[in-house]
Amino acid sequence: MDRDPHILVVDDDREIRDLLARFLRGHGMRVSTARDGREMKRDFDEARYALVVLDLMLPGEDGLALLRWVRGRGATPVVMLTAMGEETDRIVGLELGADDYLPKPFNPRELLARIRAVLRRAESAGPAMPPASGFSFAGWRLETARRRLLDPAGIEVALTGNEYELLHVMLERPGRVLTRDVLLDLVHGRATGPFDRAVDVAVSRLRRKLEDDGKAPDIIKTVRGGGYVFSVPVERIGA
Amino acid sequence: MTRLWPSTLAGRTFLVLLLGLLIAQLVGLAIHGLDRVEALRLHQSREQVDRVVQLWRAVATTPPGGRAQVLREFDFPSGMSASLDDQPRTSATPPPPFMARIAGAGPSPLMRGPPLLRPRETLTSGTDPPGGVMLALRLFDGTWLNIITRPPRPRFWHSPTFLASFGVMSLAVALLSFWAVRRLTQPVTTLAQAAERLGRDVNAPPLPEDGPTEVRKAASAFNTMAERIRKFVADRTTMLAAISHDLRTPITRMKLRAEFVEDSELRAKMLADLDEMERMVAATLAFTRDEATAETPAPLDLAALLRTVADEANDVAGAELVQVEAPAHLALPARAVALKRAVTNLIGNALAHAGACRVRLLAEPGSAKILIEDSGPGIPDSELERVFQPFHRLDPSRSRETGGMGLGLPIARNILRAHGGDVRLANRQPQGLVATVTLPA
Repeated sequence: MDRDPHILVVDDDREIRDLLARFLRGHGMRVSTARDGREMKRDFDEARYALVVLDLMLPGEDGLALLRWVRGRGATPVVMLTAMGEETDRIVGLELGADDYLPKPFNPRELLARIRAVLRRAESAGPAMPPASGFSFAGWRLETARRRLLDPAGIEVALTGNEYELLHVMLERPGRVLTRDVLLDLVHGRATGPFDRAVDVAVSRLRRKLEDDGKAPDIIKTVRGGGYVFSVPVERIGA
Repeated sequence: MTRLWPSTLAGRTFLVLLLGLLIAQLVGLAIHGLDRVEALRLHQSREQVDRVVQLWRAVATTPPGGRAQVLREFDFPSGMSASLDDQPRTSATPPPPFMARIAGAGPSPLMRGPPLLRPRETLTSGTDPPGGVMLALRLFDGTWLNIITRPPRPRFWHSPTFLASFGVMSLAVALLSFWAVRRLTQPVTTLAQAAERLGRDVNAPPLPEDGPTEVRKAASAFNTMAERIRKFVADRTTMLAAISHDLRTPITRMKLRAEFVEDSELRAKMLADLDEMERMVAATLAFTRDEATAETPAPLDLAALLRTVADEANDVAGAELVQVEAPAHLALPARAVALKRAVTNLIGNALAHAGACRVRLLAEPGSAKILIEDSGPGIPDSELERVFQPFHRLDPSRSRETGGMGLGLPIARNILRAHGGDVRLANRQPQGLVATVTLPA
């Protein structure tokens, strides 16, 4: 990973923009800011940003239009800042291919964690991989836009944040052995408390929800020496 | 008396109408009956007079030896008898008016005909007991023909079909008025139902403005009122949403600023305050935005949802505070995000007041029941419904500590009612509170 990833923060509130830039710089990132779409586009191609933090509500061209514009220029990951809890915006943002979203008012540390996770994911998934809008496996279906899991009968099965993130990173890397450390690294920690055990807990809960027999699991297999592998074929549903 | 007086408007109107109609019918029948009795009397007296004249002629034209035979063979109408005696039989009672003309001074039918056939002397009197007439007619040979007629009293209820027809008529009147009253009072019931619907849901459909003028006017006035209430609520909601919405930018700034505070204890406290503010804003927005109906319902595994909410609460607490007893699966149509919020609010409420709770999911025919039971202090019975009112707080000082702003339960109830279900609270024995959620399957 680049030691100093270059982040572009696009927000029309000057205070938030400056505070966020200062905060991210304090955590080892290079930060540029833009107050609207015009400023954002000015140096976009030359700057080669590692990630864009994009506010949804902007004067002039709104965040969704800018997201589409960024998507048209390559695979620069985007974290959207949406209005709080407004489901429709969030869903539209994710369907258009934002890599993550965070409702305002966000916790700066949470944003930092998300930025790092997206950067790591972008790096490990390779450059040409656009974010998928969903995955299907063994009759099940994970919809990333709505963050929901549907069983083979089409019935939604609720997941905790950890379970969802864990399933998501495993579905992006089917057939690969993922150690606890790797999983910890990929799944950004939303839960508080000791997280290394959280992986095992989340896996056992996931198995239960996927009706995967804990003693002889078919879908998520335990690898000796401490790791897991997602062992059924996974089909990506394009963005 | 109060037991006989019905409670509904329809019942009362029906009763009054029925009593009025019954009295009118009885008075009509009485008039008719009296008329009939009068007519019968007239007819009877005429017949009696005719028979008396007939008997007199038959006896007067028969030689004395055959008179007994004539009396025996005469076809007496009921209540009439006669005998031949040496003395007249009369009593002191004055004769009733209807027989007066037989013996009266006027042109009595007995005095018609040839003089030989007229009685030589006529005595009349009433009978003992009164009601009939005694008539003594003196024949030429000096004997008396004594006649007693006691015409049967005309019966008021003469016809055997009378009672049947009275019954049929009464029944027809009753049925018709029942139907009419029901029809006339129906709009009042409709209005009451509409008012109740409006109380529960401001966006309830308007009343149809049809029917009689008064009903139409009432419906129209009601619809206007509903529209005003809707507008008022919408304005307040918009205002509340706008304030909450605008608070997000300053909260975001303050959260960022807090990150630059050197004193870590102070920073943690500031962030905790800001988180609380954020929760309040989030709750207000969720309440005002009517999240309950924004999603489309889709099949969902309720058992998995409850486990997920419990797991999340336990993860945050780092302890097994929420225990779930549920079947492996229970699928029903629901709005996933909204329903999760409702269940989270209810479990969060139990955790805030009791520290731990047990969640049970029961499958019932046609519905699902969720019981969220705790062993906390419970709440007074009078508060069981009131806590579902927005911004209602049991004890302001205490809920400040638990961070509630009185929207968790109203939001949960709104969401569950939008699903066609409901949530109710009840105290448990010996202590604790149970929230019972019902959801149609």
